Amino acid sequence: MSDVLLSRRGRRGLAVFFGAFLVFLYAPTVVLIAFSFNSSSVAALPFEGLTTRWYEAAWQNVEIRNALVATIQVGLGVALLATAISVAVSYALARRRFPGRSLVSALVLVPLVVPTVVLGVSLLVLFRPDQPPIFFLAVPLSLWAVLIGHIVIALPFCVLILMPRIASIDRRLEEAAEDLGASWMLTFRRIVLPLITPALISALLVAFVVSVDEVVIASFLVGEQVTLPVYLYSSLRFAERTMIMVPVATVMITASFVLVIAAELIRRVGDRRVGL
Amino acid sequence: MMTVDVAPVVETGRPGMSRAARERLSGWALSAPTLLVLLAFFILPIYFVVRFSLGIDRFARTEAAAELTGELGSFSLDLWRTFLGYGVDLEILGSATIGLPMWLVGVLFVALVLGAVLGGRLQRHGGLVSVVCFSLLLAPFFTIPWGNTLVRVAELSSEGDFVRLFFKSVTMATTSSVFAVLIAFPIAYFLAYGVKKSKYTWLLIVIAPFLTSYLLRIFAWKIILGDQGVINSALFQTGIRDPDNALSFLIYSQFTVILVLLYAWVPFIVLPIFIALEHIDRRLLEASTDLGASRLHGLRKITLPLAAPGIVAAFLFVFIPSIGEYITPSLVGGTGGYMFGQAIAQQFVGGTLNWQTGSVLSVFLLAVVLFLTFSTSRFLRQGGGATA
Repeated sequence: MSDVLLSRRGRRGLAVFFGAFLVFLYAPTVVLIAFSFNSSSVAALPFEGLTTRWYEAAWQNVEIRNALVATIQVGLGVALLATAISVAVSYALARRRFPGRSLVSALVLVPLVVPTVVLGVSLLVLFRPDQPPIFFLAVPLSLWAVLIGHIVIALPFCVLILMPRIASIDRRLEEAAEDLGASWMLTFRRIVLPLITPALISALLVAFVVSVDEVVIASFLVGEQVTLPVYLYSSLRFAERTMIMVPVATVMITASFVLVIAAELIRRVGDRRVGL
Repeated sequence: MMTVDVAPVVETGRPGMSRAARERLSGWALSAPTLLVLLAFFILPIYFVVRFSLGIDRFARTEAAAELTGELGSFSLDLWRTFLGYGVDLEILGSATIGLPMWLVGVLFVALVLGAVLGGRLQRHGGLVSVVCFSLLLAPFFTIPWGNTLVRVAELSSEGDFVRLFFKSVTMATTSSVFAVLIAFPIAYFLAYGVKKSKYTWLLIVIAPFLTSYLLRIFAWKIILGDQGVINSALFQTGIRDPDNALSFLIYSQFTVILVLLYAWVPFIVLPIFIALEHIDRRLLEASTDLGASRLHGLRKITLPLAAPGIVAAFLFVFIPSIGEYITPSLVGGTGGYMFGQAIAQQFVGGTLNWQTGSVLSVFLLAVVLFLTFSTSRFLRQGGGATA
């Protein structure tokens, strides 16, 4: 069957190309991991021997630790808040007919395509400390401002995960519960929520990762305390700070691999549960 | 849909309210938190940026300070006139130059995008119209990023610094998108048709790097491509090049930005192409082979046309975010790879500090991106639906 699509020679050629592509794809990660254990103080060949001193140095660096804590705080806040409001809007979009529905669904997705630099500067305009255009929205430039910016960009991801899942639940389950006299809240809690739990966890993880990786909006909105990506970004300009950032980068890449694969596995479990 | 309407029998919720009214109300109530957040922190900020671009608001607090930054004090279209007022030169095959007014370039651009998107709906030669419009759009913006020796088909330039910078950014975005698609297509083809066991695991292996931190991947490339980086130090070690003579185009150049953008997006766009290929009915190809067509003929006449929407979606997924790129050029672009997004940041937090000019650039970029998104939403939804 597959011979209509690909000759044996063609398949072999593509396999070689695919192999080369995987090397291209993973070389940067491998390079980071390798240099994080290299004892030389510049990231260049040849290797001079194994060491863990860069990990120790990074761990003992107070700025990095504070930035890490700040990043995780913002990430957790973004994950919880963005997921909470997206569950509501996803449910409305999947289950309710109301005027303005298509406008809402378009609006929720627009932040996905707006360049982050435009989003960053426009929030900077809103939050400008010297003369904010609207006083009650004047969030000081700080981790709070970063949190708000990241909620806006995490929202579309959460909705894209949650809405199809809610829409795929058999509507008759909810109707049966309501016909039996269950209130809307009870139906949601006992029927919908258990069925979307995997999607919910996956939305939480993705929102967390979106926030933890984001640097452009954060770099416009941070105050005194920076996030780890912003710290990394500003460190990249100084050659002497490179080596200490390599282990940090290695750990972050590994962690996001683990999170992403976890999110994917959980999503697959969810697909099976809804019967897709 | 099989829905049993039993609403009149069982009264839940408040009496005296129709089911439709209740549904409407709860739809709005559930959307309210999200709408409020987006209104306050997405729409409103952009509204203020638009005001800045029209000279209504300004960064400077006093008249004297405004004089210094060159900001306007009241409503005016002057900033837009200055930005869009320059003529544009279209140079064809490195020789003939045609001068065009900016508005005509805009009209041509919109017409070509619409032609490329809507051409497919024409009864006759629809595909041809699309392909011609698409090629005309790409022609002035495609380049091989290896020095400046290669003659380009056509090139747009302008006296206006920001307009020229915008064209350059579009060129870089186009080039990396085209190469990304050229790499992603064979990969997707191999995964869809060449891999027999556990193709979804392989797909996940391909996509996984896309989901890790973008910044860190750029960081890794900096270590690989730097003047003292992996490639150069390997060349020094092996004696191919001496340390005073590093391969310097590897870092801080257009080449680097295009390479890194390409690297970042290829894993992601394998997905829409893969899904488009998976949806092709293989019996079509079997039928064509049975009738004596070669595999190449089948690829050209069946596979490519049927996968075209996925390929276009893939192109747009790279192209749209790349036009406004900020982080990649500021880390690996140097002066050669400077892009439009950096110019915006420069006006707001960099040395220049003119929020009004920066706002004009932001609104312009936003308008271009939104126009592209909405005019091509058919493809994006198809590709995006595939990825969600």
